[in-house]
Order: sequence, then structure tokens, then C-alpha cells
Amino acid sequence: MAMIELIGLTKIYKGFKAVDGINLTVERGVLFGFLGPNGAGKTTTIKMMAGVLKPTGGMIRMNGLDIAREPEAVKQFVGFIPDRPFIHEKLTAREFLNFVADLYRMERGRARDEQILRLLELFELAGWADELIESYSHGMKQRLVMCSALITEPKILVVDEPMVGLDPRGARLVKTIFRGLVERGVTIFMSTHSLAVAEELCGRIAIIQSGRIISNGTSAELRSKAGTDGNLEKAFLLLTEGGEEPNERFFAPLQA
Amino acid sequence: MNGFLLLCRPRALALKNSILRGGKKGRRRSLIMAFLGLLLCGGIFYLSCRVLLHFQTISGLGDLLARLLLSMMLLSFFSLLIFSNVISALSNLYLSKDLELIHASPAMIEDVFISRAIQTVMDSSWMLAVFGVPVFMAYSYVYRPGPLFYVTLAHLSLTLVIIAAGAGIIVTMILVHIFPAQRARDFVALLGIVMGIGIYLLFRFMKPERLVNPDTFFTVAQYLNSLNAPRSPYLPTQWVADSLWMCLKGEQARGFLHEAVLAWSTAGAAVVINIWLASFLYFEGFSKSQEAKKRRNGAGVLLEIPAKAAARIFGPQAGALAAKEIRMFFRDNTQWSQLLLLGALVAVYLYNFSVLPIDMSPIRVDFFQNQLCFLNLALAGLVLSAVSARFVFPAVSSEGEAYWIIKSSPLKTRRFLWAKFLIYVIPLLILGEILIIATNRLMDAAPLMKVLTTATMIFMIMGITSMGVGLGAVYPDFRHQNIAQVATGFGGMTYMIVSALFVTVTVVLEAGPVYILFMAGVKNITVTGLQWLFIAASFSTVAALTALAIHLPMRMGERALESRE
Repeated sequence: MAMIELIGLTKIYKGFKAVDGINLTVERGVLFGFLGPNGAGKTTTIKMMAGVLKPTGGMIRMNGLDIAREPEAVKQFVGFIPDRPFIHEKLTAREFLNFVADLYRMERGRARDEQILRLLELFELAGWADELIESYSHGMKQRLVMCSALITEPKILVVDEPMVGLDPRGARLVKTIFRGLVERGVTIFMSTHSLAVAEELCGRIAIIQSGRIISNGTSAELRSKAGTDGNLEKAFLLLTEGGEEPNERFFAPLQA
Repeated sequence: MNGFLLLCRPRALALKNSILRGGKKGRRRSLIMAFLGLLLCGGIFYLSCRVLLHFQTISGLGDLLARLLLSMMLLSFFSLLIFSNVISALSNLYLSKDLELIHASPAMIEDVFISRAIQTVMDSSWMLAVFGVPVFMAYSYVYRPGPLFYVTLAHLSLTLVIIAAGAGIIVTMILVHIFPAQRARDFVALLGIVMGIGIYLLFRFMKPERLVNPDTFFTVAQYLNSLNAPRSPYLPTQWVADSLWMCLKGEQARGFLHEAVLAWSTAGAAVVINIWLASFLYFEGFSKSQEAKKRRNGAGVLLEIPAKAAARIFGPQAGALAAKEIRMFFRDNTQWSQLLLLGALVAVYLYNFSVLPIDMSPIRVDFFQNQLCFLNLALAGLVLSAVSARFVFPAVSSEGEAYWIIKSSPLKTRRFLWAKFLIYVIPLLILGEILIIATNRLMDAAPLMKVLTTATMIFMIMGITSMGVGLGAVYPDFRHQNIAQVATGFGGMTYMIVSALFVTVTVVLEAGPVYILFMAGVKNITVTGLQWLFIAASFSTVAALTALAIHLPMRMGERALESRE
């Protein structure tokens, strides 16, 4: 069953095509990796999927619902984790999670309080639950944003660069949680620059370059398309840059 | 030397780019801002001329008053400049986001300090140009001095700016040395507000209106005594005031060089002392300001009562927003402290009405009192517009970079805006009705006037709040560094103008019917059918205008937020 469908999705900023008619389908219970060089259109696509940006053209269907027609209904079951954790610094973690729960109309009560505590414990923030967020480190804020995305028990999770700012322990925790969610049928659409993470976690991967999908398949399919037996990094470089090592270009004039 | 010029370059380039690459919209905004600025300068010039010309009519005292006014004005500017430099120095020297990059570069600390100090002077001193120049020009218009006045004005003003910046930056360095920069900013903001309130209350309770009418004093000596502006040979403002006065009176040669040498040597000393102090205070303070904020508990029983009550009253989504807003407002020292200012404003507002010389009125006292009550509607409306510009207009922008939480949630933009409306309309209603009901009691208003002004104020506040939220959504600034600055931009200015127009039109529309009804009551005559028609038409127009003022800005705001990239 297709949980995410991007059909001819386009975004134009003042004449510049950031996303150029992309088509993608993601099935239920899949962790989908979305890779691409800087400025390729990853974050723009993700923001459109989260309902933060309005597409210039095309359609986004989540669980069969058109986000343009029923934005509130779609957002009700989509969790979003942005690349930078901007949150209200003068709230405590507990207050912030309650605020988000209210926005998603989650019923107040003991069950919700327990859910909040469980998530804070899971992300190792329980000891900081009643401290103002302004005193948190970047990684702690990132973990709190993840709590807020999971508190509503979403069917689809849209994630932009989840590992930025996390320490190895935090990164391992996130990987474990994502695996667990996928096993429970949650669909995760994740952009990342970490090819090792993509290779380790993602069932399917798409590569976007200059706003267009240039490759889509499993990690093995991408390697085969790039014509390499090496790792995903090698395949990615071959598909996006023709495989030339950046070092060669940098050092060539120096050696001459 | 090249080092600090290089460090100033990014700021100069940013300014150039914002002017040249601002596009049509940017240019239009700049033109409107320039026009409004010129209008303000013109207004200050006109008022200053009126005051100085009025002084000239008081025989024997005109020049004395003009000279005192010059000293007092320079002293006020100087104090404001010092304070403004403290605020700018905090952000330029310690809190600016690009400082990390600058300090990581091989730039000399001395160059970093000098470049940032120059930027601080630039940021703080523009107000002297906008507010000061028209007043000085008014002096030159009234006294017709020679060209040396302008030369003296230019170079001595520069010394004042340098000395004030020197003092402000030294205070900042010491403050940051004692507190970390993050806390120092809160501390300075609070200090500024308390000082502002103190000066405001002191000035008001000195009853300056008595000075306009010297006949109320028994002797000239008593009058002069009430004008005791601070004079001291050690005050730089006194040197400047004395020099300018000599130029204005045509006594240019006497003492002119002496004051110039004093002012320039002090300015030079301020620069040298600053650079010397910075060599061992600045980097240590900057390093402190980079340290993370202290772990701070969010608990507070007093705060939880209104936050939880709001959450319960407004329901899940609007309630969540209300509770969040209350918590964030009262945990931010720069925000809640402004309520103190608001309290002082209300106190002085009501005090002004309590000391009005009603018995000196040339018309019937009851008529005059009720006329004042009606006009108070306009005054209170304008005060509420200004309060709303500070608190309601930035309501949408206050979400800051965390606005993605709202945008990605299932909360409709329309509901989000109406929730903001609900959150702000209640405190504004309380404030507005305090101003109206208390003034009506002080003025002993007629029952008709009481009902009419109280009801109209409810209508006005609905419109003022809606325009604040709506236009705040049309011109949001989610990347602001300081929420107080959101209202100072183009959007805030537009809101103030539109809101003031709304208040004025409402009062003008009601003036006719109020006059008819009030006179009918006073003279005990019946209102004719035609008059009733006119009254109904006027009040219907007010109702329609209010409905428009509530609906249209919210609709515009909703559209603007939804189409925002």
C-alpha cells in the first residue's frame, strides 16, 4: 500500500526550479532514504511533504489523502523532524511536548503524561524535563524535537538530517528507534548526508540532483546502476559527479 | 589600521547590498520610511520653533528659558546616547552571531574591538540626527546665528557622540565582566525600563505645565528656582551648550576655543581609555558570553495558575497557544518588565485627568467634562494602538524560527490567528476599559456618555487587536533577534497609521450623534426623526467599520501566512 506519493512535484523560487517534477512512491513500513548533494532540493521536498512549503505544481498524497486539499487531516498523522531544532526556548521540555500534543488534539490526562515521560526517558531527557530548553545543547534539542514528532504516534515520519548534532550514543538510539517504528508499520521518509546510515537503515533510496530524481531503488540496485561493487558512497559519487575524486582536482594544480 | 577597516567591511557591504539589491519592494519601503522620517523631523522642527518663539514673548525670560532648554535637551540626548550605546555594544561586541568567526580568525583583538566600537557608535547615534538636528535648526531659525554655529554644532556633536559611546562601552565591558552577556542584556533592559519609568514619573509629577504660565509663581526667583536644570562645569553637555549658546548670541570668539579643546581632549581620552581597558577586559568577557546558559528550572506556581486557566478556558489548540504565550512572556525579563512601563503610563494618564483645571473652563463645566470624556475615547484608542503595536503586532512573529511547529501541525492558519486574537484581546479590553471607566468617574460623566464610551471602547479594541494580529501576519519577522524591534519596521509603522486612522474615524463618526443626544438631554428637547436617522446611520457605519477592521486584516494575514515561502 502506497503511503507516500509524490506526483510531478515542482517548486520554483523566483524563476529557479528547486524541485523539478519529481515522482516517487513509498510503501507502508519502509524506511526511505532521500540522498543528494547540497542544494539538490532535498529540504525543499521534505518541507513540502510536511506542509510547511506550498508546491508550485504537482501533488503530494499521504495515505491516499491530497495534502493540498486536506492539509489538516494529513498533518494529523504525519510527524516532522526538521534539520535544525528551532523550538521555544523559554518552555521546559514537558511544557513543549504538552503544547505539541494539544496542537494535535491529543486527549489530556494520565495516559498522555505517561506517554510524554516514556518518550523523555527513551531519549534520555527525563532528568531535564522541567528545565528551560534554552539551557539544552544542540543534540538535546534535536532529541526533544524527535520526541515531539513521535508523541502523536504518526503513521508517516518525515525527517530531515536526523543525525546532525547527535553524539554516537544518540545516533545509535535514533537508528534503533527508527528500525522499531518501521517494524511496527510506520513509513519513514528520511533525507541524510550520511551514506553509511542510509546503507545501514534504508530499504529503498532515491537520489535527487538539481531538483530531479536521478536514481531510485535498493542500495544494491543503485550500486548496480552506477556500475560499481563498492559501497554506497562510491555509487553516490559516480551517479552525481561522474566518480572523480575531489582530492584529485584539489591537488592537481599543486602538484603541477 | 587596515585591520579594523577590513572588519567593518561586511557591515558596509551588507548595507550597500540591502540598498542596491532590495528590489522594487525594498526601495518603496525605504522611500516610505525616509518620507515618514522627514515628516517626523519636520514636526519636531515646527514644534521646537513654536516653543522657542513662545519663549521670546515672555519678557526678560525668553533667552534664559531657551538656554536652559538647550542644556536640558543636550543632557537628555547625552544620557540616552550612553544608554543606547550600552545596548548596542552588548550585541555588537558580545552577542553578534558572526563574532565566533571573527574571533577564530587571526584578526587582532584590538582591531576587532575598534571595528565593533565604530559599529556601536553608528547604531546608537542615528537618533541624534533624526531628533536632534531639527531642534538645533529651530534654534538657528529663531536666533539666526553665523556659519560658525553650524561648524561648532557639527564638531562638538561629534565629541558628544564619542564621549557617550566611550562611557557606554566601558559600562558594557564592566557589566559583562560581572554578569555573563546573556544575563547582562536582561539586566540592562530591566535597568533601562526602571530608569525610564523613574524619569517619566518624576517629570510628570514635577507638573511642568506650571512653567508655561509664570503668573502662577509669586516671584521671578521662585520661578527660576523651579527651573533648576543640572549645571556642572564637568558635564560635556554643558561645554557644548555654552559654546552653541555663544554662537547663537554672536559671541563667537569668547571661550570658544577653550570649550572645543576640553570636548576634544575628553573625547580623545575616552577612546584611549576604552582601547586600554578592552585590552584586558574585552576578550575575557566575550569568552564568558560564549558559555552556555545556566540550567534554569521552569517551575513557578504563580505562572502556572494563569497558564493552566487559559489552557482550560480556550480549549486544546488555542489554549495550548495561550498557555505557551503566558509562560514565555513572563519568563522573558525583557518582555514582562514592559508591563511596569505600562503601569506607569496608566498611572500618569489617570493623574493627568485628575489635575485638569476644569474650574477654569470658559464653557459650562458639565458640558466640558462630558466633551473631555468623549475625546478621551480617541486618546485612549491611540494609547491602545501604541500598546498594541508593541505587544499584539509582534504576536505572530513571536513564534520566531519555531513557526515550523505551527505550520507542520494540523492547526489551521485561521484558527492560529484567531487564537492569537483571543489571547491578546482580553488584556487589551481590561486596559482599555480601565482607562475609560476610571476617567469617566474622575470627570463625573453623564450616564449616556458612560455607556457610549464603554461600548465604543469594546468595538475599538476588537478592531485594534484584529489589525495588530492580521497585519503582524502580513509583515511577520520570524528571524528577529529582539521581539521589541519587530514593531519598529515598515509593517509596524503601517499598523500604527492604519490603527490611528481607525480610531480617529470611529470618534469622528460618533461625534455628531453624541452632540445631538447630549444636547437633547441638557436642554431637555426631543430628538427629531431625521436626527434619529442620522444617529442610526452613524452608529451603523461605526459597526460596519469595526466589522471590516476585524475581518479584513485577519483575512489578509491568513492569506499572507499561507502563501509564505
